[in-house]
Amino acid sequence: MSAYLVRRMLGLIPVLVWITILSFGMIHLAPGKPTDAAMQFNPRVSLEARERIAKLYGLDQPLHRQYLSWLGRIGRMDFGRSFLDDRPVLDKILERLPVTVSINLLSLGLVLLLAVPLGVFAAVRPHALFDRVTTVLVFIGYSMPAFWLALLCMAYFGVQLRWLPISGLHSLDYESFGLLHRGLDTAWHLVLPVLVTAFVSLAALSRYTRSSMVEVLRQDYIRTARAKGLTELRVLFHHGLRNGLLPILTILGLSLPDLIGGSVISETIFSIPGMGRLFYDAVMARDYPVVMALVTVGAILTMLGNFLADAAYAVADPRIRLGQASGGVA
Amino acid sequence: MRMDRFSRWGLCIVLGLLVVAVAAPWLAPYDPMAVSLPDALLPPSASHWLGTDQLGRDVLSRLIYGSRISLSIGFIAVGVAVSVGIVVGASAGFFGGWVDSVLMRLVDTLLSVPTIFLLLAIIAVDPAERLLALTSWPVLGPFFRACFQWVDPRIVVLMAAIGLMSWMGVARLVRAEILSLKEREFVLAARVLGASRWRLITTHLLPNAMGPVLVSATLGVGGAILTESVLSYLGLGVQPPTPSWGNILNEGRVALGVAWWLTLSPGLCILVTVLAFNLLGEGIRDRFLR
Repeated sequence: MSAYLVRRMLGLIPVLVWITILSFGMIHLAPGKPTDAAMQFNPRVSLEARERIAKLYGLDQPLHRQYLSWLGRIGRMDFGRSFLDDRPVLDKILERLPVTVSINLLSLGLVLLLAVPLGVFAAVRPHALFDRVTTVLVFIGYSMPAFWLALLCMAYFGVQLRWLPISGLHSLDYESFGLLHRGLDTAWHLVLPVLVTAFVSLAALSRYTRSSMVEVLRQDYIRTARAKGLTELRVLFHHGLRNGLLPILTILGLSLPDLIGGSVISETIFSIPGMGRLFYDAVMARDYPVVMALVTVGAILTMLGNFLADAAYAVADPRIRLGQASGGVA
Repeated sequence: MRMDRFSRWGLCIVLGLLVVAVAAPWLAPYDPMAVSLPDALLPPSASHWLGTDQLGRDVLSRLIYGSRISLSIGFIAVGVAVSVGIVVGASAGFFGGWVDSVLMRLVDTLLSVPTIFLLLAIIAVDPAERLLALTSWPVLGPFFRACFQWVDPRIVVLMAAIGLMSWMGVARLVRAEILSLKEREFVLAARVLGASRWRLITTHLLPNAMGPVLVSATLGVGGAILTESVLSYLGLGVQPPTPSWGNILNEGRVALGVAWWLTLSPGLCILVTVLAFNLLGEGIRDRFLR
């Protein structure tokens, strides 16, 4: 087991190298030199002074040496300072990260709760009415622009019916609330963002669950379970789903980039102070240190998610870890 | 079998959209850019079927012209993605070894970074400014200037960026196909007959790997149109006054409470178009690949 995980972890290294090369390359594509910001419009800064400062920051070094020293700083979690307010980029990201991660975890939970039963019931009788209806819905959901859905929900539930708040995480008088009231208030503000975020992955995941379960339900052990006289629910969820869920873990890991990327859209629409909103604002203000740091953090979060999915898969399915450990086929 | 009927609908919608995009000047009842402030924010009526926006422009005409932008970005971005994907996938699959590992790790990397992050990061470094700088080149300058009068450099950047962020699936498909085709007897026969590597790849391997690529390209057009609309909605894609479905939504956002028609119709256009390409893609897959 641990040998399998170590091997998976080593496999992440080349990906990390590519990520750093891409981020570094993009910093160098950005227009203007870092020394411009402070000195371009100051006529009293002489050419020698500029060269001295370039030397101080190592900008006169060859590119590969600059890359290595930048890599060293990233390794120490030093992403530089924001062009906007001169605060360390890492602080800005860390204060926004919990919001984004918790919204994404909540929607992931919701997706699993909805998509898995939908997929299972569709798989029980393939091509029956329920399956056909969900197939059509899944196709529509798959093609739905999520930001448009968010706008429609805002317009209907927020503006028209005034049921749900449409922006931010808290009400204006949040500070005056008691503890319980605060929790309820935040939950109330989270309803629309979480629903919309969940909707994006719902269609794909229920589709995968369906096809995985259709395969599983054809197996002999399912017929055995039915022949033993077990209830249908127990056959489906205890014997069937345990095997049918395995590929879903991988799909879940693969859908993480979309989930994290989707937070840019939903946080911008619902004005939620999370990582996605920070990214959007940084792009609009051309705040390159923040942009590049977020690209790197986004990639690392995704890799972490994929790694956890792989680990969960190995825990759930002995064939994976044993097959790998003995050097056999994956 | 059941998908077949749906995919025929998909094909009809796609063909219909192409006709609309080509015939836009004859179909649009008004000039899509014509500002008329007295007519601002009119609800749908007999004279403006889908109402008007804040500047009194006819929404239906803007949607019709917007189909040109959406479809051309969709097709060209997919063209870029398919070309890059074929080159990368074919080299990785055919040469193997370190070429394969380096290229495939790049694919893994790009798949693990959220696409929208990379796209926004590319847009943040202002590549359109670079393209505009080409117009001051000594000999080719006037040529580039003529090009950019014809098509906005920011749209060129958009097409290229979306394409460059979506070739990874095609590369994986082509690589897998080539790996399995490489071992087949007809390839061995061609090799024995003394075919060059180039000939092996272009006439024996690639044509046989095109089926899955066609499916993924069709599905990709829908995805590219969706991406364009997201970027334009965020204000980082197609810039006003050029109408695109995404930036009509962006302009409608301000009037969300009062002018629902500005939000409903462009979104429906995106939904129906993306749905049509997805149905068509699935239809081709069912028909030819199973």
